[in-house]
Parts: sequence; C-alpha cells; structure tokens
Amino acid sequence: MIDPAWVSALSAILFIIGLGGAFTRKNAIIVLMCIELMLNAANMQFAAAAVHHGDPTGWVYTIFAIAIAASEVAIGLAIFLAMYGKHETISLDDVDVLRN
Amino acid sequence: MAGSGTATTVDSEFMSFAPLIILLPMLAFPVILFLGRVFNRNPFWKDKMKEGGIIALVVMASSLLVSLLLIKDHLGGFLVDLDTPDFLWLNTHTYSSGNLVGHSLGFGLYVDHITVMLLFIASFLCLLINIFSIGYMTTDPINDNRNHRFFAEFVLFCSGMLGMVLADSFLWLFIFWEIMGLCSYLLIGFYYERPSAAYAAKKAFLTTRVGDVFLMIGLVMMWDLFGSLDYAVVFDEANIKAAAESSGTLQWALGMMFIGAVGKSAQFPLHVWLPDAMEGPTPVSALIHAATMVNAGLYLVARMFPFFGSEYLQNDLVDLAFIIALIGGLTAVMAAAIAFVQHDLKKVLAYSTMSQLAYIFTGLGCAMFLANTLDWHHDDDAHYIVVIAFGAALFHLFNHAMAKGMLFMASGSVIHEVHHAHHHLHHHDHHDDDHHGDDHHGDDHHDEHHDDDFDAQSMENMGGLASKMPLTATAMLVGSASIMGLPFIGGFWSKEGIIANAWRVALEDPRFFLPAMCVLIGAGMTGFYMSRMWLKTFAGKPKTEVAAHVGPTNTWIKIPLFILTFVTLSAILFAGMSFTHWAPDPEYGLLSEKGLLDGIVYEINHAFANPNTFFFILTYVAIIIGAVVGPGLALSLYGGNLAEGEKVKPWMKPIIKLNAWVFDRFNFDNSSVAKSGLSKALENRLYFDHYYDMAMLKIVAGFSDKSAETDKNVVDGVIKKIESGSQSVSKVIRSMTTGSARDYILMVSVGALAIFFLLWGVS
Repeated sequence: MIDPAWVSALSAILFIIGLGGAFTRKNAIIVLMCIELMLNAANMQFAAAAVHHGDPTGWVYTIFAIAIAASEVAIGLAIFLAMYGKHETISLDDVDVLRN
Repeated sequence: MAGSGTATTVDSEFMSFAPLIILLPMLAFPVILFLGRVFNRNPFWKDKMKEGGIIALVVMASSLLVSLLLIKDHLGGFLVDLDTPDFLWLNTHTYSSGNLVGHSLGFGLYVDHITVMLLFIASFLCLLINIFSIGYMTTDPINDNRNHRFFAEFVLFCSGMLGMVLADSFLWLFIFWEIMGLCSYLLIGFYYERPSAAYAAKKAFLTTRVGDVFLMIGLVMMWDLFGSLDYAVVFDEANIKAAAESSGTLQWALGMMFIGAVGKSAQFPLHVWLPDAMEGPTPVSALIHAATMVNAGLYLVARMFPFFGSEYLQNDLVDLAFIIALIGGLTAVMAAAIAFVQHDLKKVLAYSTMSQLAYIFTGLGCAMFLANTLDWHHDDDAHYIVVIAFGAALFHLFNHAMAKGMLFMASGSVIHEVHHAHHHLHHHDHHDDDHHGDDHHGDDHHDEHHDDDFDAQSMENMGGLASKMPLTATAMLVGSASIMGLPFIGGFWSKEGIIANAWRVALEDPRFFLPAMCVLIGAGMTGFYMSRMWLKTFAGKPKTEVAAHVGPTNTWIKIPLFILTFVTLSAILFAGMSFTHWAPDPEYGLLSEKGLLDGIVYEINHAFANPNTFFFILTYVAIIIGAVVGPGLALSLYGGNLAEGEKVKPWMKPIIKLNAWVFDRFNFDNSSVAKSGLSKALENRLYFDHYYDMAMLKIVAGFSDKSAETDKNVVDGVIKKIESGSQSVSKVIRSMTTGSARDYILMVSVGALAIFFLLWGVS
C-alpha cells in the first residue's frame, strides 16, 4: 500500500495546478477542466484520509463527488454551448455581460 | 465434481511468465500507435516494419510461445487451477448487516481444460491472422497512412481475448469482454469515411451492449449469491451447496449471463449486428467475427458447467439448458436459411458463423442437460455420456474457429485479388504486367477507387477462380468441407457428436425434439450454402471480365492459409488425442485416456460403427443429408465446367468434374423459388433489422416526444418563472460586478483562504 501522505501530496499538487490553470487560461473549457482537476484533488484527499483513518466513509464521499462532478460537467458544457451560440466565442475574456 | 479430489495439480515453471501473454500485446498497443504517428511517412517504417505489423507479429509470436509452453505443461495433468500470481489491486470494505466486511480485488490466472483449448485457439489464430493482415492491409488499396491504427487495435483486441480466457473471475472476464467489444467497434469502423461502416460499427456496439447489460445484471445476482465472482469461490462445491437453497435465483442469474453470451455470439434475437460487421477489413472479420470474439459467449456458457454438473443442483437448471439448446437450434436453421440467398461472399460466411456457433450452443445446452439430470458422479456410463457431450461441443468450437478463420482469410484473399484485378483493368492500360501484390501498389491510383460501384465482394462478379488461385481455392474447399462436416474432415468429428447428443437428449425430454430436429436439418442446409459459395466463386466460367484477370495472391496471405489447411485436415489427429473428451473430468481428461493410434481407431469406430442401432442410423442419416443432399442440390444449380484451357490442381479436378457432370444433367430452373416471397424475406434477413428499427423508433421517438413536451411545459415553465424573477433581482445586483470570470475565481480562492486562516487561528 502507498503511504496516504504521498497521495495527499499529489492531491495538493493537482489542486495547485488546477487553481493556476483556472486563473490563467482564457478558454472556458480548459478552465472547466482545471476546476475538475481541483475537484479530483479533493476526491483524492478524501480517499487518502479514508485510508489514513481506516474509515470507508471517505470513499463514499468520493463516489458522491464523482457523481455530482459528472452532472456538473454536463451542465457546464451545456452553458458553454449556449454561450457559443450567443457570443460565438468561449473565451472568458470576451464575455462579460454581467457587467452592465 | 466427480473425482475433483483426485485431480492432479501440475505446477508449471512458466506460470510466472503467463501474465506476459496478456501484457505484451497490451503494451504494444500504445507503442504501435505512437510510432505510427511519428514515422507515418518514413519509407523504412512503411516497407520494413509494415506500418507496425512486424511489431505486432513479434508480440503475438511471443504470446503464442508462452501460451504453448504453458499448455504443454498442462497436458500431462488435469484440472490445473493455478491462481498463484494473484496481483492484488485494491482492498475495499463493505457494510454487511452492520459489520465491515473486507474484500480484495486482484487479478489472477485460472488455467483448466477449457482455458487451455481457447488459449491455443486464440493465440494461434491471432498470430496467423496477424501474418495475413500484414499481407492484406499493407497492400490494401484504400487506407494509406492509417494502418498503424489497425495493428494497434489488433494487438489490443488480442490482449483482450487472451485476458478473457485466462482471467480467474467472472468480473475480469467481463472487463476483458468489454475491451474486445471496444476493439470490435473500432475495427468494424476502420473505414470510417464510409457511412455504412460507421453505421455497422455503431450497430454492433449497441446490440452487444444490450446483451452486456444483462450479463452485468447476472453478475450482480451471482455476487449476491456467492459474495464473490472468483471461479475459485463460485465453483466450490460447498458454496454451490449453500447457493442451491435459492437455485431459482441462481438459474435466473445464469440465464441473464446467457443473454450476454447470446449478444456476443450473435444468436437470435441479438444476431443482427454480425452480418453488418463484415464492413470491417477482412482480417478483422476473420479474427474477431469468426475465430475468437464470437466464441467468448460460448466460453462463458462452457464456464457455467460446474453449476450444471453439481450434485446439489441436480434437475434444478433443466429449463435453462433447454433454452440454451433452443436458441441454438433456432439460430442454426434461421441463419443457414438466410445464407442461401446472400450474394456477398463475406455475408455468406457471416451467416455460416452464426449458424455454426448455434450448433455449439445446442451442443452445450444438451451437454448441460445431461450433466444436470444424470447421476454422473456415481454412474460410470452416465459419466462417459456427459463427458463426451461436453467435449463434442467444445471440439466443434475448436474446429469451427480454425476452419472459419481460414475461410475468412481465403475470402479476403479472393476479394483482395479481385479488387486488384479490377484496378488493373480499369485504371491501367496494360494488363500484362506481372502482378506482385506488393507495397508499391499503395499510392498511385486509389483516390478514384471509391467512386465506381464495382462490388469486389459479390459472388456474382466471380466464378472460375479455381485455376487462378489454387492455394486459396484449396483452403476454401477444405474449410467448407470442415464446416459442412464431410466425413473424415475437420468439423465432421464434432458435428456428428453434437447431432447425436441432441437426439440422445430428445429421447429423454421431448422438448428437446425441436433443437435436435433443427441441428439435423441444419446439417443439410450447411451442405447447400457452403457448396453454393465455393461453386459460385471457384467453379464455372468467369462471370465478369475482372474475374478472368485475377492473379495469385502474395506470400504473407498464403502462409496462414497453408498452415490452417493442414490443421483442418488433421482434425482426426486431435480427435484421436481425445480432444473430443475435453471435459471437466480427470478420468476422461485431455490427452490422458489412450495412445494416439488407439484414440483414432476408437473415434472412427465410434463415428461409423456405433454399437447402438439408433445412433448408427442417425450418423448415416446425418452424413447423407449433410454430405449428399445439400451439396448435391448446390452442384446441380451452381458452377459448371471451367473455361476452355484452364487447368486446376489434381485434387480439385474430381470436384470440378463432378460439378460439370451434375450441372449438365440435373440443372433445373429454380427461378420460381428464387422469386418467391420466402426468398425475398430471406434476402431481407427476415425483416429483423426492419422491425428492430421500427420498434426502436416507436419506443425511443415516442419517449423523446413525451419528454420534450414535459420539459417544455412543466420544467421550463417553472424555470422561466424563476428566471424572470431572478432577472429583475439581478438587474439590481449586477450593477456592482466586473463581469470577468477570472475575478470570481480569485474572489472564491481568497475567500476560501480567509476562512482557512480564520479556522486555523481559532484552533
């Protein structure tokens, strides 16, 4: 078995990569992917904690989170599709209708 | 199981290498794919490496080598159950009535008699068809610079098949089963720019998926009964005894799994995908849709034997055995009837595959019935009957895989050369240049190729090829004879066994009369359509100018044809080695009963001079129907003498002569039959696709219409109310925002960080 600490570390790295991507990228789909990455980092943290404490509850949370993430992606992509239909772009910099 | 206590367990030093059989091709998959992308236009890659074909060849040869070493070690012993190298994957826990129960999921190998046989078939045919693919794909006029994809998917498929055979639990069987399904999808759709190929790939994937859903339900039910899917657990007599209390549930679980097998092995009513799957390149048809993947369903059913054979479940699973035999019997006759009227060479073979697999299902169903009803654990005669019945079905699987793999390769060779002849005639002025079938055919004239509507697969465009492609014609002849069950050749030994056992069961349980009748009639039908196919392709005079200019094929294609012709002809040797007794039992075990010569004498005696009068007569009736009536009808309707001055090899001369003689004297006009409603229905595949499409349209379209309505009126109505409300609120709020998504992410992060520090500070 791998030491849960390593899994935690990997999770942290994943989270930082995801956060950095979400800050710096323009393409909405890539930002969504980054958000998914952060979500997976959290999942991994759950799993690592579950192993560390010997308590399967963490796994259950992970399964729930995966299920919710799947529906979240579906909604996200649908929003991008609608956004593309309206603005003909999915670059986040070009869409700021909320402003006015 | 009888004598399972006395089973000798053989330790093999090669067991530790056994995972390589699966791992090598699996690792070669990304390698070929990657190298192919990099070296796409490199001449060394194209000519010397055959676009990855050589890598695949090396890998499959190594797999075969390890498999053979493994098989060799297991021939001496019996019922070898080596799950030693169990790679632990993960440990999990589940709550069961308040307690934590630990489970571990690992991968192990399970090697017994069924494994050994399928392992040989799979690794041997994967290698041969790999050799064939190199000859076929690299000179294929259609795909330039895409063949690395073919070879990559090819090795992934091989890895899936070998993994399924070696897996030690139903769960891993299912995982590898799905890998094969994926590869089947990818390879059927290999010519994806052709809409029919894309459609066929989708259809094959979705149809088998219907079966797979049931298989999964069956697996879940089985997990519920046994708490595990490992063979070691579910086949354990003590566990079966415990599960026997709910034998009804067990029968349902096995029945659900059988539906999965029906989908994979293309049996009625999930058979519609197999004929369309012929859209893929011919090596794919040979490997996946004739020799290996479609056998997966049979393997799954054969794996269920310990349940049927268990003392504790005696007489409990009779209905399921009947359903297996019935589905087999119906499909055998239906597919054979449709094969009567097909004009496409590969479609005839596809229906023939369906029909022969159905024979094996009938054989297995009958063997399961016998194992389930007879007291074979204590009665020696019953024991012998069960073992022979099960062995005959498995032996037919072996014979069919070898013969059908060869037939498809031979048909590929024909199609390939007809294609090239067509190119020479229509795109070159000179017909006389030597035909190499070599790589340089690849590049110059293939773009216009898709436009013309010449069908290189239609038998209407062939005829008289026996003198032009002698090896291919011979291979096709031997393969057809094996499928038809002509005495002494290949499938004869096993088909007789299946028919005899079907009737043996029919005498005990009148319900089985229908499948038994089906397989008997099916023998004659097989004789007709296989003869028709050979005669239309190879005998008579060329029906088109293209057929008159076909040349011999290239060496890569010839090697596997030659080897398989030999294997098919020498099936009596395998029969003599007691392969027909390939059954789950040490006393009649593989290669352990008699010497080779004794075995052959025994087989011949058993087949031709059966001491039981009923079976003696039945054998000869089957031979007359299958080897005289069916082929005789085809001889009088199709073919005829070759064109003037054409010479055939001496061993095909008598057949051509016989054909010419029968054709001249007994030819009759069958146009009234050919134009009848039944014939039209058969040509339309009995309208199954039509009705399936209609039903799907009714159900799916109706459901979507209703859903759309609900969505529009109910869901959207509520949403719209909420939306208009929030619009007016948001108008107020959004006057204070920036509108940039990035700012929001920043704010969320900063907020989260702030909360973190706050909590940290508090604690």
